[in-house]
Amino acid sequence: MERLAPSTRRNTWLRYPVLRLLRRRRRNGTEVEAEKGATLIDVCRENENNIPAFCYYKDLAVQASCRMCLVRIDKMPKLQTSCTIKVTDGMAVTTASPEIEKAQRAMGEFLLVNHPLDCPVCDRGGECELQEVIFDWGDVEERFTERKNVAPEKYLSTIVANDPQRCILCKRCTRVCDEWMGEDAIEAGNRGSNTVIGTYGGWLDCSQCGNCIEVCPTGTLLDGVYRHETRPWELEQTISTDTYSSDGMQLSIGSRGGAVHRIVARDRYVNGLNGEFLDVKARFAHEFINHPTRLKTPMIRYTKGGKLIPATWDAAIQFVSDKLADYGSSVGVIASPRLTNESVFTLKRFATEVVKSNNFAVSDRFDISSVFDNLSVPLATHKDIRNAATILLIGGEPEEEQTYTAKQIRQAVRNGGAKLIVVNDTPIRLIAQASQFIHVNKNSYDAFALVLSDSATDDLAKKLGIELSEIETLSKTLGETEGDLIIMIGGDLPVEAQAAIASAAANYGSDKHSVSLLPLVPYNNSVGANDMADGKKSVLDVINGSKALLIGGSISEQPGTGISPQLLQNKEFVVVQELFETETTQYADVVFPAASFAEVDGTYTNNTGFVQRVRKAIDPIHQTKPDWMITSMIAKEMGVDFGYNLSTTAVFKAIADGVPAYAGLRYPDLKDESRPVQVKHKIGGSSNNAIDTLNTRVGSLPDNGEKNNVTPKVGHKLHRLTTMTSKTAQFHLLAHGNPKPENLLVAPLQQFELDGSPKQNLAEAVGAGDRSNPGGR
Amino acid sequence: MAAATPTSYTDKIVKTDEVAEFSPEIIDEMNMHVAKYPLERKRSALIPLLMLVQRERGWIDNPGVNFLARFLDLEVTDVWETATFYSMFNLRPVGRHHIQICKTLSCRIMGEPDITEHVCSRLGIHPGETTADGKFTVSMVECLGSCGTAPMMQIGFDYHEDLTIDKNDKRRDHQRTL
Amino acid sequence: MEIRAIGCEPLQLKRVHMKDGHTIKVYRDTGGYLSLKKALTMTPADIIEEVKASALRGRGGAGFPTGMKWSFVPKDSPKEKYVVCNADESEPGSFKDRYLMERDPHSMIEGMIIAAYALGSSTGYIYTRGEYKYLIDIMDVALAEAREAGMLGKNIFGSEFSCDIHTHTGAGAYICGEETALLSSLEGYRGHPRMKPPFPAIEGLYASPTIVNNCETFTSIPQIIEMGGIPWRDLGTEKSGGTKLWSISGHVKKPGVYELPMGYADMEKFIMEDCGGMLRDDKKLKAVIPGGSSVYIMNAGQILGKNVTLDYEGLVAAGSMLGTGGMMVMDETVDVMDTTKNLTEFYKHESCGWCTPCREGTDWLVKIFDRIASGGGRPEDAQLMLDICDNIEGKSFCPLGDAAAWPIQSAIKQVPDDFKKWLHAKTDIYASNV
Ligand SMILES: Cc1cc2nc3c(=O)[nH]c(=O)nc-3n(C[C@H](O)[C@H](O)[C@H](O)COP(=O)(O)O)c2cc1C
Ligand code: SF4
Ligand code: FES
Repeated sequence: MERLAPSTRRNTWLRYPVLRLLRRRRRNGTEVEAEKGATLIDVCRENENNIPAFCYYKDLAVQASCRMCLVRIDKMPKLQTSCTIKVTDGMAVTTASPEIEKAQRAMGEFLLVNHPLDCPVCDRGGECELQEVIFDWGDVEERFTERKNVAPEKYLSTIVANDPQRCILCKRCTRVCDEWMGEDAIEAGNRGSNTVIGTYGGWLDCSQCGNCIEVCPTGTLLDGVYRHETRPWELEQTISTDTYSSDGMQLSIGSRGGAVHRIVARDRYVNGLNGEFLDVKARFAHEFINHPTRLKTPMIRYTKGGKLIPATWDAAIQFVSDKLADYGSSVGVIASPRLTNESVFTLKRFATEVVKSNNFAVSDRFDISSVFDNLSVPLATHKDIRNAATILLIGGEPEEEQTYTAKQIRQAVRNGGAKLIVVNDTPIRLIAQASQFIHVNKNSYDAFALVLSDSATDDLAKKLGIELSEIETLSKTLGETEGDLIIMIGGDLPVEAQAAIASAAANYGSDKHSVSLLPLVPYNNSVGANDMADGKKSVLDVINGSKALLIGGSISEQPGTGISPQLLQNKEFVVVQELFETETTQYADVVFPAASFAEVDGTYTNNTGFVQRVRKAIDPIHQTKPDWMITSMIAKEMGVDFGYNLSTTAVFKAIADGVPAYAGLRYPDLKDESRPVQVKHKIGGSSNNAIDTLNTRVGSLPDNGEKNNVTPKVGHKLHRLTTMTSKTAQFHLLAHGNPKPENLLVAPLQQFELDGSPKQNLAEAVGAGDRSNPGGR
Repeated sequence: MAAATPTSYTDKIVKTDEVAEFSPEIIDEMNMHVAKYPLERKRSALIPLLMLVQRERGWIDNPGVNFLARFLDLEVTDVWETATFYSMFNLRPVGRHHIQICKTLSCRIMGEPDITEHVCSRLGIHPGETTADGKFTVSMVECLGSCGTAPMMQIGFDYHEDLTIDKNDKRRDHQRTL
Repeated sequence: MEIRAIGCEPLQLKRVHMKDGHTIKVYRDTGGYLSLKKALTMTPADIIEEVKASALRGRGGAGFPTGMKWSFVPKDSPKEKYVVCNADESEPGSFKDRYLMERDPHSMIEGMIIAAYALGSSTGYIYTRGEYKYLIDIMDVALAEAREAGMLGKNIFGSEFSCDIHTHTGAGAYICGEETALLSSLEGYRGHPRMKPPFPAIEGLYASPTIVNNCETFTSIPQIIEMGGIPWRDLGTEKSGGTKLWSISGHVKKPGVYELPMGYADMEKFIMEDCGGMLRDDKKLKAVIPGGSSVYIMNAGQILGKNVTLDYEGLVAAGSMLGTGGMMVMDETVDVMDTTKNLTEFYKHESCGWCTPCREGTDWLVKIFDRIASGGGRPEDAQLMLDICDNIEGKSFCPLGDAAAWPIQSAIKQVPDDFKKWLHAKTDIYASNV
């Protein structure tokens, strides 16, 4: 190879082990300092030497197969892949030279050999990494004049579409499936140039998280819900927060012309806590936003049992305020934990300031105030989880409910060597990663809380249905932990057990390790709603103790608690703010159409205590309005002006002034997703008086309790049809077991009814048949 | 070689829950393979066991894959990814006699094209095809380590070396009668 | 087919012609397992020193000094260590390991046990290609015999040392001869090569220190222990010790497996006399691939009258490589374009598909060859193919990519006339400065 003229040569000298990156200009290069053991490609990229790469993905196993990231390192034979090299002191690296450019262009040329140049019809066109690299070079000559290998586009699942020809076999998808999801659902098959990404039988049975689609650098794996809707560059990207899971994943809403078309987490748009991770609901279940059955106008039911009749906003507000004024302090207010902090806070204000009652509740599945009242250690963040040394997961099923937490756990175990201890009455899927699984009896979490709060006895072990030695092993692991210990409390634990664990957590810290806590709460804003609603009552108390109700969101049936929308039947006057007609609205006298999360500004607080922004991606559709605005309009009509002036900033300021944990926060401070703000929940001052209740309840537990022995199926919670998810047609097929269609080339929805039964004869009629596949691939 | 399976073929496999059953002797034989490897490394036995399944069932069929996935605690897709990599695994049924003709250099220059032509015309099929009666499949394979005795072919697991057209005829006539 | 030694006493081939040479009885009657007994009285370090002194270079193709490889294994690692015999033998043109295993399986087993002792390992695997089913059966019998005789299992020869060896089959994948791909395959995965470093000697099978050696490398070990390293080395040359098996195929009268001392002079004599000369007397020698398909093709002019010695250095000097010693001889009836096409098809079929240049490059090259063979050759194709080869070589993940490039590069340069014809070229088909 020819020697390079100094003028064209860009050199990078590396030094370690200083943590700070220092840069000094040299005559023909830059000297930088890097952390010891850092990967060369990262160091180069941080220092403005962009190196193209496809297979490299931070925090996934190194693959080194695309051969794109070649650089020249002094004193080494051949070009080296910078993704595999750890920097060493004094290393001199050339990242750009004619030799390197030739090699990299050669790899690009190879990748294009069998890659169809169909960018104009590719859903990824405009955000394809391959396209970007090639276009950056410009001036690319195509020397390949032979026939390309062909393979038809097809479906891999109800929502994952696949164009195998476009694949460059970087295998990010298979690694993500394995390392993030622990599912191994998608793999490479065949070999050589016949290699394909797929599954046995060609059908993808998994949780359908779609992360494989997200990380795919090309248009090989495609979002089957968004498919062929728009071109990516025509979408306006709005960063927002997931409206399903309490992990508070950051996402980017792609909208155009007042409609939301897709949701992604791509790094280029979001630099949030979850990187490119999302789950099936966050990514695909967004069709509800523009669904035709959304409530469009306020509606009034003038006579009980009659019909809801559309009304103007003015009329409806007037009607409601007159009525509620009559009921005065016998009005109860219930807020859904799905609403923004602003809306919950405003509803709470409505109760205390307008109708002057403390009849206020949050319709969460359980009362998480017990955890926060007894907090003895800080809340863990997701970063903490990834770097934890030991994780104790008590109850819960994060892989179905807090998917990002589950991913962090898996990576902590796999890539970080953390130990996971699972305590559960069911062999949940996460036990595959666990170093210890304590399989307790059903309904015996109370006893486990006692073990943690005090000590293990034979008697407690018997109630738990385990050996005492299992607890000893656990104590030993906890005692030997060097690094962070994280205790996670599942939402399925009784409230008292949660309280006891929250207050006992501090006892497990030592000089070798710190402890933090993560409550696995069920809703996107469970924590925030709890923060907003200091002094709240239970839903049952509020319903029973009031004649009229103002409800934000719906009340869902909660088996075993007696809570059900039917309780509203006997109420004299019910007002509901909702997106859709639900069971709750059946009993409403007035329904206000509320705006969805994509149409409002505001904040959610996630399970780690981060307050994150929800941003308005599209204007409220039809005549809908944000919940807080509806509530404050009623209040104003009733003579109380909250002073919001229709500004979210003002509502948030009121929160900061009124809620101690949010004191001092300002709305604009929350604008940078990469630096989330954690609210200051009060630690210590525990008021734990649950132990007695626990003791009594444990006393009455049978000694020979039962256990659940069946591992729950993937998706049994994620794919459940709810008011919101059921609006995405594909979820119906998922809920019916993701049936494999006869013809993979035709969209499953064209071959199935929503109940999963095949549409007669249609599949064949629209099928293209199996286009033969002479070249393999 | 059961050459790499085209995508469209694997897609057509209807994944069922049917699990193959094997006699206790075969299970013993499988356990003997598993015992060669450390306990937590059972997956190591996957390739030898795939061989056994193929020997018993003729090809790597769906119940066989399901069986291995259970036997070794794997996902079916794990079995699939390994099975499709190796050219000896038949991912579709083959004839009773699987004739594999070596087409690599030494055999080629020593007369492989004539042998192939002859075998195929006598059977009336092309390489990669199976006769209508399901008795013979002809595949072209890469070097089988018999270059010194080229040309050669492998029928089932038996090596037939130093082939001439005449020799070949006799052998085939013999097999016809099987 | 011939199997014999020329220019030396048969060492590797000592038992191949004996009746029942594959049984432990004949093996022991002819001095077998005495080296093991002797080795057990030596310290592991001494054994490694002896192997180093023998200048034994791995017979699997890369020719890496075996003693040095063994010394990389960490002595104090708490992990289990493994000894793996690479009997995958899929290199076109190479068929020596097959006869060693068929007719003298115990000498390989003995070599492996000695290696296990030297490296502190108690488990060995013999990885054989799946097509060699009959050899696996032979090995299984031999292993059972050795176990019965107390050569394997607990307290071998009454010493503290225990060790067992198992067979493992591949299932048709050339790449699984590459040592790290072999390990992936041995773990039940797709046979993809792994990143080096860490080398297998540090992190190999099940992430434990592992030594992978060729069959013939292991069969040399008992001889080295028996004779001593230096005397064994002196059979060959200073840098390439001992004797080496050559597999000869193609257009010679007496193809077969020959044992030659390293440094045997010369290649012309070997082909023209020892192997009986050209198959058809009226046809002249055209080209030879001396070391299995993964080396440079030589034309007759590089061999005839050039005194090429048969050892690592000699063949490099002559413009090729020793590789596995699988010599393929072609007379003038052979069209080298067709030869190259055939080998490229082989590499395309065997490319594992992991890395871009090898997967896409071989696919592209085969398509070009197909076009040329159907009459569509263009003069600029030669330059294009050379450039594709250049883009594969040195940039692929494992050496298979290089191996795919070399035959094409050398064929176009050494036998340009065969290409000119197909490419309808009147002038030079490639820029000579490449
Ligand atoms: C593509 C490829 C195929 C190989 N095939 C074989 C083989 O079939 N048998 C073998 O012994 N070594 C083979 N090798 C060499 C091995 O990687 C390795 O160098 C050898 O097993 C080491 O043993 P040795 O030191 O005894 O030669 C192959 C290497 C490559 C790159
Ligand atoms: S060069 Fe690359 S594709 Fe080819 S065999 Fe090696 S790793 Fe696989
Ligand atoms: S990023 Fe280094 S080889 Fe792909």
